[in-house]
Amino acid sequence: MSISLKGVMQSTVTPLKADFSPDLPTFERLLDFHVRTGATAISWPHHKGESLNLTIAERKAFSEVAVKVVAGRVPVSIHVSALAVEDSMELARHAQRIGADAIIAITPYFWAPTVDAIYDYFVRLGTAVDLPLIAYNSPSYLAGVEFTGELTRRLIERLPNFIAMKEASFNSEKFLEISRVALALRPNFSMIAGVEFLAPSVPLGCAGSYSSAGAICPNLCTQLYAACAAGESARARELQFKLARLWNLFRDQYPSSLKGGMVVMGRPVGPTRPPLPTASQERQAYIATQLGELGILETEPHGW
Amino acid sequence: MQDFQPGLVHTPVTPFTPGLKIDFGLFEKVIEFHLHHGAQALALPMHTGESVSLSDAEQRELVTFAIKQVKGRVPVIAHVSDAGTGIAAGRARHAQDAGVAAVVATTPYYWTPPPAMVVEHFAQIGAAVSIPFFVFYTPGELGATKIETDQVLKLIDRLSNFAGLVDASLDWQFMINIVSNAWRVCPDFQLVSGTEYMVSAGAVGATSMFSSLSGVAPMLVRRLYDICRTEKYFDARQAQEDLAALRQIVKRAGAGGLKGAMRAMGRECGQPRPPLDALSAGGYGKLAAELGALAVLRVEPRGW
Repeated sequence: MSISLKGVMQSTVTPLKADFSPDLPTFERLLDFHVRTGATAISWPHHKGESLNLTIAERKAFSEVAVKVVAGRVPVSIHVSALAVEDSMELARHAQRIGADAIIAITPYFWAPTVDAIYDYFVRLGTAVDLPLIAYNSPSYLAGVEFTGELTRRLIERLPNFIAMKEASFNSEKFLEISRVALALRPNFSMIAGVEFLAPSVPLGCAGSYSSAGAICPNLCTQLYAACAAGESARARELQFKLARLWNLFRDQYPSSLKGGMVVMGRPVGPTRPPLPTASQERQAYIATQLGELGILETEPHGW
Repeated sequence: MQDFQPGLVHTPVTPFTPGLKIDFGLFEKVIEFHLHHGAQALALPMHTGESVSLSDAEQRELVTFAIKQVKGRVPVIAHVSDAGTGIAAGRARHAQDAGVAAVVATTPYYWTPPPAMVVEHFAQIGAAVSIPFFVFYTPGELGATKIETDQVLKLIDRLSNFAGLVDASLDWQFMINIVSNAWRVCPDFQLVSGTEYMVSAGAVGATSMFSSLSGVAPMLVRRLYDICRTEKYFDARQAQEDLAALRQIVKRAGAGGLKGAMRAMGRECGQPRPPLDALSAGGYGKLAAELGALAVLRVEPRGW
């Protein structure tokens, strides 16, 4: 049951046709692109993959494609968070049935659950399937609902399959509060940075990141991780600054701008479902200018 | 102007007599302790020195006293923050006349001015002196008023003595955005870690560090800082985790936690001034027990 999560992992976007319907053939090409360009794991559908804009049936269909196309080349995790907990449970069971390698889940949406309620939720999820469980901490997007060191300890002690956390607070104190507890209790636990904030986190035990920019510049993402892992501080800082500039570009209307950037890179994946906007032609032109300034157009793969 | 690098900056507490006056006799001991245990500069009175509970006259008296006591052995940085721009600027002028090496100020207390007025606030304080001026960003304490990159760039443009930013946000994204953009127009711009979370801050460009825990564990603080200055951040992880653990313990004890921790180390500094809560006997007992269990404190100095 155990898997190793390390390095630059890709959480793919969700390709859609012009009429906003699922584009499964392009999804297959995208998955293959990520695996060929160095992804050490695939995870779908994070918020970048418009998870909450897809029906449960659509999520199941895409998940089945992900497992089939990746075909064991790297681990595939399925993000099962949905507005209703019962849907999350169903997605988790489905992930196991189709042969996914792990499930990942954020703290519950909308409600402001107590720490005990969050604990109960993850215990229910983690005991419903015989798959590794990855927790996802994102306090700034969920009104401060977050993991603490103590909650992490309780869950590690309760769940042998709780193997990793996507930690997206981007905050030294919060990261260390969780990592100190997790890595002491379970040394092979993977702390994974949400987005490529690797220079500040790898020295503290971070195992890698769920990439935001990997569909645009997989080479740069891999180079950053390599510099961080090698302790090349000056080089890591230089690459981190470049990726931070890209993150500033893409987090505006995320993931619309990312999809706009993929058009520029010759890998169009269609529009973004409302209520998120779709990157306009003007926005795409601006993104192209920025990618040009950063040298991305010359150093990264174009097309599939 | 930009040659001044603060280095490892200790931020002393302000001791009070039982009658709630500043205890200058004890403050002399506090200063001497810091000077004999690794301080490369002092900053006072910071929030951990209860600046906001001191009258304007007391803050001026404290700075004057410190300058006389330090006698040039290390640079002294005066914290001059206030709600009113003119009050803070006046305090900055006084500090310069008293002989400090630099001044530092936060966003205004209480008010939530528009971004342009936040720039004006800092510009007037900085323009009131000719010594280096640092902005102190601590959104956890002053949440409503944010600092953005373009404000920092405007200040660089307006103030020749704007030396850098002291960050207590602990926010990787914020620090990277500020320093990467500031360095493009002002290569000497300094990022200073406002807390002991130096590994992540150093990895993205911080070169100096403010430390309140230096009153509790000065050797550990110095070790962390020295390793980080060599940019060998993997080597700094243990010291960083030890300091994170110490910080959590002190924080859990509440407003009186820092002085309580100093008392536990044999350096009685009394209780905080109202409206901050004094540490109860029970609270102190719990704090002392937790500190006693920290092996890393066993080699730290006891007493003055």
